[in-house]
Amino acid sequence: MPPNSRPGDAVFASVDRVNAELFTLTYGAIVRQLLTDFEEVDEVNKQLDTMGYNIGIRLIDDFLAKANITRCSDFRETAETIVKVGFKMFLGVTGTVANWNTDNTECSLILDDNPLVDFVELPETCQGLYYCNILCGVIRGALEMVSMRTEVKFVKDVLRGDDVFEIRLKLLEQVPEEYPYKDDE
Amino acid sequence: MIGVGRGPKQLLNVVDRPLGKGKNEVSLSAFAFLFSELVQYSQTRVDNIAELERRLEDAGIGVGLRILELLCHREKANRRETRLLGILSFVHSTVWRCLFGKVADSLEKGTEHEDEYMISERELLVNRFISVPKDMGAFNCGSFVAGIVKGILDGAGFPARVSAHFVSVEGQARPRTTILIKFAEEVLQREARLG
Amino acid sequence: MLQAPGGAVGSSTRMRCMYMFNRQGVCLHYHVWLRPVSVLSRQEDQKLMFGLLFSLKLFTAKMDPVGGSKGQLGAAQLQGQGCSFHSFQTNTYKLSFMETPTGLKIVLVTDSKMSDLREALKYIYSNIYVEYVVKNPLYTPDTPFKCELFNQNLDNYVKTLS
Repeated sequence: MPPNSRPGDAVFASVDRVNAELFTLTYGAIVRQLLTDFEEVDEVNKQLDTMGYNIGIRLIDDFLAKANITRCSDFRETAETIVKVGFKMFLGVTGTVANWNTDNTECSLILDDNPLVDFVELPETCQGLYYCNILCGVIRGALEMVSMRTEVKFVKDVLRGDDVFEIRLKLLEQVPEEYPYKDDE
Repeated sequence: MIGVGRGPKQLLNVVDRPLGKGKNEVSLSAFAFLFSELVQYSQTRVDNIAELERRLEDAGIGVGLRILELLCHREKANRRETRLLGILSFVHSTVWRCLFGKVADSLEKGTEHEDEYMISERELLVNRFISVPKDMGAFNCGSFVAGIVKGILDGAGFPARVSAHFVSVEGQARPRTTILIKFAEEVLQREARLG
Repeated sequence: MLQAPGGAVGSSTRMRCMYMFNRQGVCLHYHVWLRPVSVLSRQEDQKLMFGLLFSLKLFTAKMDPVGGSKGQLGAAQLQGQGCSFHSFQTNTYKLSFMETPTGLKIVLVTDSKMSDLREALKYIYSNIYVEYVVKNPLYTPDTPFKCELFNQNLDNYVKTLS
């Protein structure tokens, strides 16, 4: 693709949209419910990741149906597609990919901006919270559905005083399709 | 390119940052998936439909209280409605337009009870993709929106019981959703005093 | 049964049945329009269909004389990778098939004279399955579904096919 094109813009323009505040405040309500249900911040981080995973395994079909992209040729292209098309299509923001390791299996997805955190400030009691941890789960779930097992975690968080949001994405393995039934079943 | 042209947002306290104009958007899908997961998660924490609706309503209340603050600040220069019809029309038009991009299809006064009002929507956003299985009876995801309405009314000093119901419409395959508002006695007494 | 002679009837009578399988081979949905003859039990029928699709897909990819599909016949490949068949026809029916990169397999069985259904399958996936199943807040992923909105929209849509 030409370097100046913004592939996510056209997709975002073509999909139905809602006010970001409804989305942001609904997410806030979910995080508050989790904090009440689990108390421990680490548990909440884990739960957010799980909920994200559950979203990811559904959202990937919506992505494939609307984004009209072809299969990514390698993991570098996958990462670019996530930040340029995926983030844009769903959240209306784009990010950048940086910090590749030498064998191209690990990189950072960097977001300056993220609608989940508008109006948010972490209170003293929630300092260990990765407020946007749901995003890690979404990416992990979505990639698993297209045969990639990954590990995804936040390493920088604006709410914790960092300058950007940085999500570390690591490809563990590509899982080939197997016949799911045994012959004698 | 990272961070070019953007201020160091994290240095500003959240209350010192300019409040957005409310024009930013995300995809409807993003909201639909997030909301779905709220429903799915809530289902794991409850034993029955009434509790499920209650949890969705609770989540909605938190949203409603914040929407009220945002909108009063942005649209009404920090003034709040003090009269019953004023607050109802604020919910029916200002709030609906902000949340759902349109005013609600209708706002009606209950015919049988003085303290009841109904806001109806042919296709409420949270019910747009839903098929409710038979074994879930009259479950209505609109209880989340009922919670939003309750949060706004409570926050504005008009305590009320708010619930969501499917109402079948002649000639339509899909029922509409009616948000039923039943104001607390004190609200009606106050209205009567104000004349 | 209900089949009228000639071609004067609504095109939905050209539809026979539809299957949707997930990547684990679970039949998420089975939809019948017209299938008076069915010799196997529902479960055997679905398993046989899934097995056929799985083998045929591998076979067509491995037989590709010019494409880049690698590996030996029977070797594993990624979901939706390589070339695949999109339909076959017998003297009495036509089977149209599509697989998404998430491993969802959609099969439409119609009368034998049905035109190319690749766009139709894509439409069913993007505009009916994704909208009314995947986004249904009460749907648990990877489980068989019964969604009223899906059925309504599917039935309306197939009437437009010819």
